[in-house]
Amino acid sequence: MEKKVFERPVIKKLSAGMPAKFGLQVRHEPVTQIDGVPIKTLMEEYGSPLFVYSEKKIRQTYKEACRAFSSRYPNVLFAWSYKTNYLNAVCNVFHQEGAWAEVVSGFEYQKALVNGVSGDQIIFNGPDKSKEELELAVQNRSLIHIDHFDELYDLIEIGENSNIKPKVAIRVNMDTGIYPAWDRFGFNYENGEAWDALHRIMHADNLELLGLHTHIGTYIMGTEPYKIAASKLAELAIGLSSKFDHQLQYIDIGGGFASKNTLKGVYYPGTDTAPSFEDYADAITSVLIKANFRHNKLPLLILETGRALIDDAGYLAGTVIATKRLANGQRATILDAGVNLLFTSFWYDHDIRPAKPMSDQTEETAFFGPLCMNIDVIRKNMMYPLLKKGDPYVIQRVGAYNNTQWLQFITLRPNVVMIDEKGETHLIRKKETLQTLNKMESVPDHLKI
Amino acid sequence: MSLIIIKQTSWFWKGFLNSYTQIFFSDNKVFAAILIPVTFVDFFAGLFGLISVLITNSAAWLIGLSRYNIQKGYYGFNSLLVGLGIGIYYEPGLVLLFLVFIAAVFTLFISVTLEGVIGKYYLPHLSLPFVFGLWMLMLSAREFDALALNERWIYTLNDLYIFGGQSLVTVYEWWNRLSIPSPMRSYFLSLGAILFQFSVLSGVLVAAGLLIYSRIAFSLSLLGFYGAWLFYTIIGAEISEVGYSYVGFNYILTAIALGGFFIIPNIYSYLWVLLVVPMVAIVAISLGTVLGIFYLPVYALPFNIVVLIFLYVLQFRINHKSRLYTYFVQRNSPERNLYSFINFRERFAEHTKIPLKLPFYGEWTVTQGHNGEYTHKNDWRYAWDFEITDEEGKTFKNEGDYTEDYFCFNKCVTAPADGVIEDVVNDIDDNIIGEKNLEQNWGNTVIMKHSEHFYTKLSHFKKGSIQVRKGDRVREGDAIGLCGNSGNSPYPHLHFQVQTTPYIGSKTLKHAISNYFKRDNGLKELVEVGIPEKDQKVSNIQINTSLKEVFHYVPGMIMKFEVTGLKQKSACFEVKIDNNLNRYIECRESGSKAYFDTAPAMIHFVHFEGDRSSLLYYYYLSAYKISFGFEKGQTLNDTYPIHLIYHPGRIFLQDFIAPFYRYLKGSYQLNYPQKNGMIASSELNLNGTIQKQRFGHITHKMTFQFVVDGKGLKKFDFSNDHVQIQAICVQ
Repeated sequence: MEKKVFERPVIKKLSAGMPAKFGLQVRHEPVTQIDGVPIKTLMEEYGSPLFVYSEKKIRQTYKEACRAFSSRYPNVLFAWSYKTNYLNAVCNVFHQEGAWAEVVSGFEYQKALVNGVSGDQIIFNGPDKSKEELELAVQNRSLIHIDHFDELYDLIEIGENSNIKPKVAIRVNMDTGIYPAWDRFGFNYENGEAWDALHRIMHADNLELLGLHTHIGTYIMGTEPYKIAASKLAELAIGLSSKFDHQLQYIDIGGGFASKNTLKGVYYPGTDTAPSFEDYADAITSVLIKANFRHNKLPLLILETGRALIDDAGYLAGTVIATKRLANGQRATILDAGVNLLFTSFWYDHDIRPAKPMSDQTEETAFFGPLCMNIDVIRKNMMYPLLKKGDPYVIQRVGAYNNTQWLQFITLRPNVVMIDEKGETHLIRKKETLQTLNKMESVPDHLKI
Repeated sequence: MSLIIIKQTSWFWKGFLNSYTQIFFSDNKVFAAILIPVTFVDFFAGLFGLISVLITNSAAWLIGLSRYNIQKGYYGFNSLLVGLGIGIYYEPGLVLLFLVFIAAVFTLFISVTLEGVIGKYYLPHLSLPFVFGLWMLMLSAREFDALALNERWIYTLNDLYIFGGQSLVTVYEWWNRLSIPSPMRSYFLSLGAILFQFSVLSGVLVAAGLLIYSRIAFSLSLLGFYGAWLFYTIIGAEISEVGYSYVGFNYILTAIALGGFFIIPNIYSYLWVLLVVPMVAIVAISLGTVLGIFYLPVYALPFNIVVLIFLYVLQFRINHKSRLYTYFVQRNSPERNLYSFINFRERFAEHTKIPLKLPFYGEWTVTQGHNGEYTHKNDWRYAWDFEITDEEGKTFKNEGDYTEDYFCFNKCVTAPADGVIEDVVNDIDDNIIGEKNLEQNWGNTVIMKHSEHFYTKLSHFKKGSIQVRKGDRVREGDAIGLCGNSGNSPYPHLHFQVQTTPYIGSKTLKHAISNYFKRDNGLKELVEVGIPEKDQKVSNIQINTSLKEVFHYVPGMIMKFEVTGLKQKSACFEVKIDNNLNRYIECRESGSKAYFDTAPAMIHFVHFEGDRSSLLYYYYLSAYKISFGFEKGQTLNDTYPIHLIYHPGRIFLQDFIAPFYRYLKGSYQLNYPQKNGMIASSELNLNGTIQKQRFGHITHKMTFQFVVDGKGLKKFDFSNDHVQIQAICVQ
């Protein structure tokens, strides 16, 4: 028989089973394994903290999203949003599943090429594209989504000096009823700027206009804005068809789908409130199918959702460094992963789980990271079992943005592993060492000691 | 100038040559080159035969008959035979010339009349016009005093001496001393007799020509002739070398016609020849008795009667138990008919007249197929139920207690083909999960009419979701309504069936689905035409517009190439359509034609004729089958008709045994790029291999490649052991 876990005794106010205004007692089910691999074994082998990706989960989520859209619309394509997670192994799982690459910088563009994505299957977005990067993208026949007029003029110039017509689309921003409306990217729909850009492109002989793109925002918790976005883009596309007899090949509705994480300050948990792929798909496709596109001329629907595809497949496992009492008596637990690794903790109430069975005794606990910085708070206040030094924990749904936005601040970045569909673990990014950093630095001779 | 005239009148000269070869159902020019001199073994016979052909074909043209028929020699060959007959029987002279003119035109009239009368029954007029024409003339000529009977060849040696001097007489005597066994001599005499040239030499030449024209026809001629010989021997009929030769060609022609020309040659057609030849013999002997009263020979009448009767009988078959198959397109040679037929059957046996698509978007799973275990039984056995499943095979999320939990619920249902809405039921409530509505078994239903006696029915729609009304026209792929749970439906699913009557509840019709992907386990596989089976995951193919732009040939379309690696340095292809609505690509330089067939999402080449060193031939081989929709890394396979991939001169041995066994094979494989081509303007590289196989071993390998971008075909490459062709598309 295994030895029972020892927990320090605490004194706690008795609540006689009646729900408080904060709801019933919260139970944090422990997460002891990922895809059948015990967390303990993982950390023994790869250290703590440790990012863990489940290949099975990625594929499952991708297929779910695909099914939701392709069973409603004849022609659907996903482009993997590199900025959400550009670990090569993760990207390649998506590429294997059939996703193209959506990149927003020259660096990401190169990364996609190195990953083996053919140039004509890369969508180049974003406000920052240098002339050289644009030229390369044109040579590679990538789809370039134009963000502003200056870029448009660059492309016209490149087109004039090249025998290849740049393949372009414009990014359109619009009022879809959400606040804040993102009007800093692309050309505005309501004030006619989008039409200005389209006119300019249609009259430029050396640009090939293939599509329209929008990205209405991030973490959109409703489906209505997508209906509005889809109908506005469809209207532009049909307008182009009647005005210039030009058939657009695709409509790129971008991303912004919410994952199941809970945003800070939101009462209901994300698992209950975030729309599903089915909901988003229904909103978008129903509008496009009913729009007046010619028979058999429905444009390809491109989706660039990142977060909703990868968030669930990423875990951060770690170890408790210490516990202490704050001055006000609140319990505090210091974890070995902080905001340096969990950039998303600035806007999510992360779901921290014990990685071994715990008793039901809970206490109000604050979770801090390892940084010697006051801002390094993961959760300010959580009813939580009493972890102690050395206890393992797992933070769920950390797949999106953390491995691209993590900081090499005070500590080094840890190992990242992926568990494949057979349950085998692969190291997909080695932890950084002092050499990793020092390699890039040089000290002038007169400063050498 | 003279070139233009030759070009413009080439059809006339073709008609002239074919009038000779058409006697043996052939259009082989070498054969014609042998037959024409043979008719001149008796010079005047040959001359009057030739005049007769020219008169007939000119008259046909002046009257305004179909140039195609004239060119094929359909009218000329009967007049030729009449002319030969007249020439052999009567002394040449102006009167005879005039008579030949009359007889030729009269025979033409009979031909055209028969074409109209028995053509209605899809029967050929064969050589009936010749038989009738010559009879009429012979019966009437007895009254013409101005005509004298031919006395040539009665004193053979004298004639030969006048004709060729002593040397010819020596050759003739040597020839006669050759100890050719009687049955063989008789065979040659019979062959010669077809052209009214009763000599072994003529027969040998005709036999050689026949062998050059067709190995199958040659072996059939032996089978028919000696089959009848055997019959004569068994029943004890008298066989005299000369007497037998006069009717012997009937057996030869019957064997060729039924064994290999009008019927695709196979073991069964050969066996039938053995059965039919005695019938011809009986008809010949009995008619001979009757006609003897009038001093009329039977000529080819027994052959005509039996072949026509046999072909007519075949038309009343209601199944193919007999294993006798008639040709789809007459390619004018038993070999070509056979190879084309076998290839056609391999490729298109399952193709349907109205291609049906799957009535939904995305990938669905067949949860009940034909002859299903739940409800697809008896009269309703040819139906499908479709649902959507996830990776684990589940059809719902959560607990599946509500219709909304089911993946297929609320999904768009689309029209499987163009049609008119025949009936709509839209007001039946959706069931609670687990309950069935047996009162209104089919639930909310749409019936569409696609053609006469061809309807499809989709059932169990969501209440109130059907967007079409009775009488609406819909096009393939149009959204019709949403998948629901009404009628006999314990959980949401889509029921799909084909039927011949427009009623809800009609019995089902077995019919296949065209151009879809199936996924049993793992990779998607393209199905050209097939019946989705239970547990298969199926989805429609998505057409890649740039592939369609290049390979969807529309009449009038022109493709120009700059060519390296071939004699021709440029090529211009034009897409055309003929009177029978056959579509083909014609190479302007060589006049070669490659015939094709377009399915909605696919192109098949079905035939090639012309110059095999032209670019079009290599194009035909390479673009043999191309689907406009594909999955990354997908391959397509197909097979060629043997005579179009192998040089016809190199398959001599194969031809002999082809009706029974074929050891040669030509196979085609096309590989699609390892990326999905969702955007039409991205560059696509299609490559493939062509293999020739002998007894399953690869003997030759060829490779080809197409480069396509959004604007059209950029480049076409082909290479084999001999050539390395690169054709750059310039337009």
